[in-house]
Amino acid sequence: MDLKTIKSLVQLMVENDLSRLELREGDTHILLRRGHPPVMLPTATTAAGPAAGGALPSAPSPTAAASETSAQAAAPAKEHQIRSPMVGTFRAAPDPESPPLVKVGDEVRPDTVVCLIEAMKVLNEIKAETTGRITKVFVKNAEAVEFDQPLFAVELI
Amino acid sequence: MFKRILVANRGEIALRIIRACRDMGIEAIAVYSRADRDAAYLKLAHDAFCIGPESPQLSYLHAPAIISAAELADVQAIHPGYGFLSENPTFAQMCRDCRIEFIGPSVESMRLLGNKVEARRLARTVKVPILPGSLEPVADEDEAVAVAERIGFPVMIKAAAGGGGRGMRPAHNEATLRSCFRNARAEAEAAFKDGSLYIEKLIERPRHVEVQILGDKKGNLVHLWERDCSIQRRHQKLVEESPSPHISPRTRRKICAAALRLARAARYYSAGTFEFLVDQDENFYFMEVNTRIQVEHPVTELVTGIDLVRWQLRIAAGETLTLAQDEIPQRGAAIECRINAESPDEDFRPCPGRIDEFIPPGGPGVRLDTHVYAGYVVSPHYDSLLAKLLVHRSTRAEAITAMRRALEEFRIGPIQTTIPLQLSIIEHADFKKGNVDTGFIEREINTGTRKT
Repeated sequence: MDLKTIKSLVQLMVENDLSRLELREGDTHILLRRGHPPVMLPTATTAAGPAAGGALPSAPSPTAAASETSAQAAAPAKEHQIRSPMVGTFRAAPDPESPPLVKVGDEVRPDTVVCLIEAMKVLNEIKAETTGRITKVFVKNAEAVEFDQPLFAVELI
Repeated sequence: MFKRILVANRGEIALRIIRACRDMGIEAIAVYSRADRDAAYLKLAHDAFCIGPESPQLSYLHAPAIISAAELADVQAIHPGYGFLSENPTFAQMCRDCRIEFIGPSVESMRLLGNKVEARRLARTVKVPILPGSLEPVADEDEAVAVAERIGFPVMIKAAAGGGGRGMRPAHNEATLRSCFRNARAEAEAAFKDGSLYIEKLIERPRHVEVQILGDKKGNLVHLWERDCSIQRRHQKLVEESPSPHISPRTRRKICAAALRLARAARYYSAGTFEFLVDQDENFYFMEVNTRIQVEHPVTELVTGIDLVRWQLRIAAGETLTLAQDEIPQRGAAIECRINAESPDEDFRPCPGRIDEFIPPGGPGVRLDTHVYAGYVVSPHYDSLLAKLLVHRSTRAEAITAMRRALEEFRIGPIQTTIPLQLSIIEHADFKKGNVDTGFIEREINTGTRKT
């Protein structure tokens, strides 16, 4: 799905005053939300899985601001950065005894869980959302990470 | 006193809170969205966290991100500023649950006073006048019409969960009332997740007069006099001042005493503002409470000499209010102009963009609260407030002269701002006489008359 298509979907939403638009096309899944939904707060503490409302949906899902989609499209063609979608503590593995989920050289697919980010006592799985090979790990276990902070560099294949 | 607090806001109020922290030796932790990452005020904080993308609901309104940052930074308290989550009882409760102090009133009084129907009911119990109308939400349009016929048209349909001018519709007769009712309900449902509506008498040419309150957690409460915020456009304030011109000392005392009674009944603490409408006969009616620090708080700081944000921090830390009511002055006259990035000639179209020229006013009696500077980029994602320009002089006439000087000195470009509009307002004959009401801008500006 290219930027032009996304922009026309955004326009479609604005013109028809839609607050939500979801489209699946083959392997692509896009969810667009518009307007001012209430503050979404975690309703239950779960050991794994994205906190309700706490993390962005795992499929690429730009909001109505077109500038975000252009930011995501701006990364160079071959190299890609997996950036943190939330504020929290970076966990390389589900528990301190386990080895890191990924290391340099590992191949990842869109659904590969590359790390976890802990926020408000909830562990959120962070998926690669891309196909490639890990070339760099930018953060250390138990490091505080903020939104948009680069976590991994991935060579796209 | 706190060692470290998180500032859950942006722009000029974030800077205001950071300044109070710097004055008090408290480490201020700032948060910012991707759109604000280059803001210069962030460098004045002890540390800063990026909490989300441009959109407010994924950043400044995103409670999990804010609490998460607060935990990472190990802060003792959060100051929510104004707007965003500042009047959100769920967020205040979350802070409490995470053992982080929420700098504001208790969750209970926030819930109570945040519901307009509950607040009005409480006002009645302590003999604070309220506008004639329905104490309870009306069930349907027939009941609305019955209430309107009892109190007399014109009336205002209001959302119980609304505020800040939203969720209000006037009706001058039964036909309009019936046709507006359904729309008003749907709008309230969509905007506030609560479709309850009540009916209130509509006052013609009212003045908006609000009282600043400060209270500690031990039950000590004082008022810091009133502000007049009648100069509004679509319920957004543009010019505020203290004292309110044209209300008698007797009315002033009564309004301030009424606000204090209501604050006490609600067990209020921290800073809060109690809003009233005053009619042409100086009858006043309680409207709503803003359970937070307000944009126009510096107006009060100037005439009283009291630092409100500093007191919010002290109160939240458990300190006792050491201000005695009879020692709180209202000295001279202060006026504030909210300078917005909007084009008054083009229906106040917002004007985002890069600010290349920024020459601020100064000199005696001038205070400028702003996060903006030459090179700052005004983004389209948030409100358009650029700066709060204030003056404080011995008399209102001198304050108006000083404000005119300051507005004329103030150069912001190339984007459009409300400066030319505010110049016309303060030079208007009616403004100079203090003859203003909340319809002033719509009446005088739309007709294009420029009386001097």
